[in-house]
Amino acid sequence: MKKNNVIKWTFLLAAIGVLTLPAQALAGEVYKLGLSLAITGPTSDAGNPYSKGVEDYFNFVNDTKMLGDDKIECTIRDDQYKNDITKRNFEDFLDQGIVFYLNYSTGSTLALKNDFEEEQIPVLPASFHAGNLVDSNYIFLPIASYSAQMIGLTEYVSKNHKGGKPKVAMFIHPSAFGRGPVEDVKKAVAAGLDVEIVEVVEHGKDLDNTAMLKRLSSKGVQYVLSHTVQSPVATMLKDASSLGLVATSFGEEGKITFLGAHYTGGNDLVALAGDSAENFYWTTSYIVTSEPGEGTDLQLALAKKYNRDEKAANSHNYANGMMVAQVATEVIRRAKSKGKEITKETLYEELLGMNGDNAFSPKTTVGDVTFSETDHAGVDTLQLYVVKNSTFMSEGSPFVPEYTDKIK
Amino acid sequence: MSSNRWLATGNYFTSYTEEQRVFATSLDRTVMCVFLCILFAWPLFFNVGNKYMLVIDNILVAVIAVIGLNLVTGFAGLISIGHAAFVGIGAYTVASFCRVLGDSHLVITHCWPLLIVLAGFMGALFGAIVGLPALRLKHLYLAIATLSFQMIFQWTINFMDFFDQGQTISVGRVFWVTGKVARKEHYLFWYYVILVVIVIVSFGVRNLLRTRYGRCLVAVRDNDRAADAMGMHPGLIKVYAFGLAGFCAGVAGALHAYLYRGVGFDSFTLHHSINYLAMAIVGGLGTLQGAFWGPLAIRVLDLQVERLSEWVGSHLTAATNLTTALRPLSFGLVIVLFLMFEPRGIANWWRIVRSYVKLWPFRY
Repeated sequence: MKKNNVIKWTFLLAAIGVLTLPAQALAGEVYKLGLSLAITGPTSDAGNPYSKGVEDYFNFVNDTKMLGDDKIECTIRDDQYKNDITKRNFEDFLDQGIVFYLNYSTGSTLALKNDFEEEQIPVLPASFHAGNLVDSNYIFLPIASYSAQMIGLTEYVSKNHKGGKPKVAMFIHPSAFGRGPVEDVKKAVAAGLDVEIVEVVEHGKDLDNTAMLKRLSSKGVQYVLSHTVQSPVATMLKDASSLGLVATSFGEEGKITFLGAHYTGGNDLVALAGDSAENFYWTTSYIVTSEPGEGTDLQLALAKKYNRDEKAANSHNYANGMMVAQVATEVIRRAKSKGKEITKETLYEELLGMNGDNAFSPKTTVGDVTFSETDHAGVDTLQLYVVKNSTFMSEGSPFVPEYTDKIK
Repeated sequence: MSSNRWLATGNYFTSYTEEQRVFATSLDRTVMCVFLCILFAWPLFFNVGNKYMLVIDNILVAVIAVIGLNLVTGFAGLISIGHAAFVGIGAYTVASFCRVLGDSHLVITHCWPLLIVLAGFMGALFGAIVGLPALRLKHLYLAIATLSFQMIFQWTINFMDFFDQGQTISVGRVFWVTGKVARKEHYLFWYYVILVVIVIVSFGVRNLLRTRYGRCLVAVRDNDRAADAMGMHPGLIKVYAFGLAGFCAGVAGALHAYLYRGVGFDSFTLHHSINYLAMAIVGGLGTLQGAFWGPLAIRVLDLQVERLSEWVGSHLTAATNLTTALRPLSFGLVIVLFLMFEPRGIANWWRIVRSYVKLWPFRY
């Protein structure tokens, strides 16, 4: 009886082995990636759709076998916008053996810069802070830096303002993220950009900006350039609207025209500020869903496929997350097609080679992604949008700010 | 005291000297020695990933900070809600050297033990300065004074260009007798360094509490007028308590700076001060063991809640608000529950377990 049992079990195990071994042999490679970002806590209004964009795109890659039998496994961790937790998550990802890292905030990108250098791992953060690239070889910005965005907006003001030198104020987030572009805009002004910076305001957690707006108005400020997240901008726009200070057309005399960089705009701003968001000028390198195209179709289809709500589906931060996932997938695909082993080193090489004829068009942006030894900013082109009837509409053609090169 | 120092039970002492022993019995001393050996030896046998080594190191840094907070709040009875700022003073002492000399200067990379001690003294100096209002203020009013220091600290760091307006100031890799401490051994190296510091600080505090300089803290806490009548100077003792707390916090801050290889403003906010206070309460105010239990309990709870939030978030995609609320909710709940049902903290559970083991098989 005992002997029979042993034989039976031996056969059973052998059968399982025969059935599973070929399956294992046939299964493709799994490439591990990591993303640490603020899904909850400060700036989670941007981080939440961003994480969904990343998650959905990698699921899409795996479901549609874009990499054949190989799969991408991207672990997404919430760091609540705290650098200490980001560091812990990053160490965890390294323990898991990641070959590519997606980061989020400016603060943590700067804090982990040395670690990225030592680990020699390519990193795509959601932060477009130009300072990320200083003394760094492994950080790549997905799109034009905040500095480029703010300089682009300032150039637009300078070119389109009628009568005299335009007076502008900067409304910024009280952090490394917010302060980053201020010096660069000042450098551009010193280099000849014809505007006068009257005041730089670091907003706190104010629920009322009336006094600030009155002060700016009394100083003759006609343009407010914002570089922060949506909610403080919405508060400011609502207060300006109550005071009757919002310009109904660009540069309207006696009124203020509000403009903002990537994280100030998008559908969330319209949802928060309502009608007060009318005539808000916004720049980013992403194509928004109100301007349909190949990229936005993919974005909406992806969101639908993975049961995302309307808000996430139409968020430019969802597109933002999708785009970094697209770039990561593309470098893996390219390395694989060349028969290279997928490692940190080969992916880094592929990123550096992403230029000229090898530039990558993710379709979710207004320009191609180009990286090289000397250029670590992906999409250099920006698009200006303006809110008309509660919808962001394109204003003019995509452009590249002139003064970004002049101040280098 | 029993004549057999291995089998002593109860609290029968025949002299003050006996009562003031660091270890009541030889068994206690042996257990402590074995425990320390285990603490020093386990990393040689178990390979823990960098993530968990970082978590462990982080807990140990918090232990040093909470030992300091326990001195001022637990033993001296002075509430401080600016403790993270003192930790920040220590960290920014190291960061200041990095800013002036460069993050890989010899002073940073080779003289790090001196810098850690210096950071402790800077913490002590600021602690004593902040303690000055304690000459006139008590209770809630003193709490507000320490809170204001926290605010001043945050404001200063956040706006001064010298401190890079709160952005991370990087700290170079240190050297040991074997050469540069490489990335792969970084967390293990700092584990041993922090452990050694904990052992020194703990024995220091334990011994301090056996002396009149330590007992005067308790005397002032229990009744400062009576202490005054006994010839002590309550005001000076309060300032001295803040100085001691500041020293421990400063050392913890410097260790934090070296451990994370950078100093950023967001590690020393009011939220962190509240966290340290919670650790002291949960661990057990006025006990040395409490300073070990508190950080361990709060950090482990934090990790578990984080894991739970992640799990809830992945299964209920619409429950983001719930996951956002889980952390502060659990954190607040733990403090309230401890205050209600075990105000003496985990240290009291430890005391109960110890006495049970000591008296076993007798009940009392």
